[in-house]
Amino acid sequence: MADSPLGGPAPEPTGTDTARGPGRVLVAVYGVFALAAGARAVVQLAVQFDEAPVAYLLSAVAAVVYLVATVGLARGGRSGRRTAMAACGVELAGVLVVGTLSLLDPAAFPDATVWSGFGQGYGYVPLVLPVLGLLWLRHLAELDATQGRPGPG
Amino acid sequence: MSTPLVVVLTVVAVALAGVGALSTVLRRRIGTAHLAVAGVLELLLVVQGVLAVVRLVGGHRPAELTTFAAYLGSVVLLPIAGVLWARTEPTRWAGTVLGVAALTVAVMLWRLVDLWAVTGG
Repeated sequence: MADSPLGGPAPEPTGTDTARGPGRVLVAVYGVFALAAGARAVVQLAVQFDEAPVAYLLSAVAAVVYLVATVGLARGGRSGRRTAMAACGVELAGVLVVGTLSLLDPAAFPDATVWSGFGQGYGYVPLVLPVLGLLWLRHLAELDATQGRPGPG
Repeated sequence: MSTPLVVVLTVVAVALAGVGALSTVLRRRIGTAHLAVAGVLELLLVVQGVLAVVRLVGGHRPAELTTFAAYLGSVVLLPIAGVLWARTEPTRWAGTVLGVAALTVAVMLWRLVDLWAVTGG
């Protein structure tokens, strides 16, 4: 079966590395968002900051949060997980608050941010991503607990 | 930007995401099917990139030229990054990692089409 065009049988993910198995998918998506939001924020702040300062500053904040989450998940370990947990929390709060505000007061957000309308301009990925991130981190913590490990050092 | 070519590219990218998802569901690593489809995608992306550069040199000027150039450069690198990163993932999630890269390519291509159409300003 090793020659199957779909690849050989895969082992199940083992260990509690944040960037293995499903974690690697998360890091990939977070990385894409960090790059996309970061590049967009730089262009907006540099070229057209006066047009919608609130929206553009929020884009920049979102980009930083995505970057921190990506690095935290990719590095793992105790500090990486704590960092990622905080970043996912801020991200979830951000998308909920900005999403609500952008619906209540559209005039304050003349130019869309990643988090406007709960991330509808990005297929609601910004809303789903922090939830998946937090679930993944909780899953790893539970694995550590059931395997009697004190967690990554 | 040639819209027919972008349509073909989108189909190939979605196909790559499809085989990626399939190998994850079937609990398999990535294999020659993934590499073949990713290769076709990369080849078409390079063709598309060269065509765009030729027309840029020929005088076509998207309004947001910097953003357009950044997207054009990144989109060509994405399948390579996806394959390299998926190959080092030993579990069935390698296919999904590749799928993320493929879907990102599809989204970026349509953003490129939009950027290409808006000129002057």
